[in-house]
Amino acid sequence: MTEQRLAVPSDAAQLPALTRFLQEFWSAARLPPAQALPFELALEEVFMNVVLHGSPAGTAPRVEVSLSMRDLKLTMTVEDDGPEFDPLAAPPPDVTASLTARPVGGQGVFLVRQMMDAVSYQRVGARNQLRMTKEITRSSGNPSRG
Amino acid sequence: MNVRFERLALTTLVIPEGRLDFGAAAAFQRHIEEVLAGAATASAAVIIDCSALDYVSSAGLRVFLLAARAAQRAGTSFALCALKPAVREVFELSGFSRIICVHTDRATALASAPREPA
Repeated sequence: MTEQRLAVPSDAAQLPALTRFLQEFWSAARLPPAQALPFELALEEVFMNVVLHGSPAGTAPRVEVSLSMRDLKLTMTVEDDGPEFDPLAAPPPDVTASLTARPVGGQGVFLVRQMMDAVSYQRVGARNQLRMTKEITRSSGNPSRG
Repeated sequence: MNVRFERLALTTLVIPEGRLDFGAAAAFQRHIEEVLAGAATASAAVIIDCSALDYVSSAGLRVFLLAARAAQRAGTSFALCALKPAVREVFELSGFSRIICVHTDRATALASAPREPA
């Protein structure tokens, strides 16, 4: 089992460092580049959710990301010590709404839920913990899907 | 993220290159707003050529949604074309491919764009 961790303050300026962390894990584990999308997207969406909605004014909760690979199952956990917040509690956007009626927000977590095999939220002590898993397929070809 | 522009008659092509993530979204939105403001006077078309766009997150989707609405209000034709697999997947899963016009390639997008002043 391979595991890597990185902790950063909940500041939008940290997003490139997190993306780099994921990309380095990906190439070190020799995973197929075409299957990185769900994890890249989930990392940005979940992290930015904490930055924009889970950080009370004047505070920057600490966000810890871990990636662990067991067999071909990749688990990404994002934890933060901000106020209790379950991003999975929000209703999904209406994907059949028209251009003018479609809400501007709420797409991120919806995409993450669709792309991952499993997503779960837990409040663990004083931390929010969002855990996402997806099976990686070694065969090359089509980019990962659902 | 780098953004290039091309003008072909009444059509402005916007060509974003690289990653359209949260960090890039605000600057990209300003670029598109400027192009739409310029296009509105000519009843023209704006095409976002995504052939060099590697990644889009919900922050990028938001820019496309707002741009498509602004274009609709102004009567400007607005479309995307040449989506790479990672961008296409995000568009399809979000349902945005149903509300924003997406062409397979630049030639098809140009063929659908208006050619005469309205």
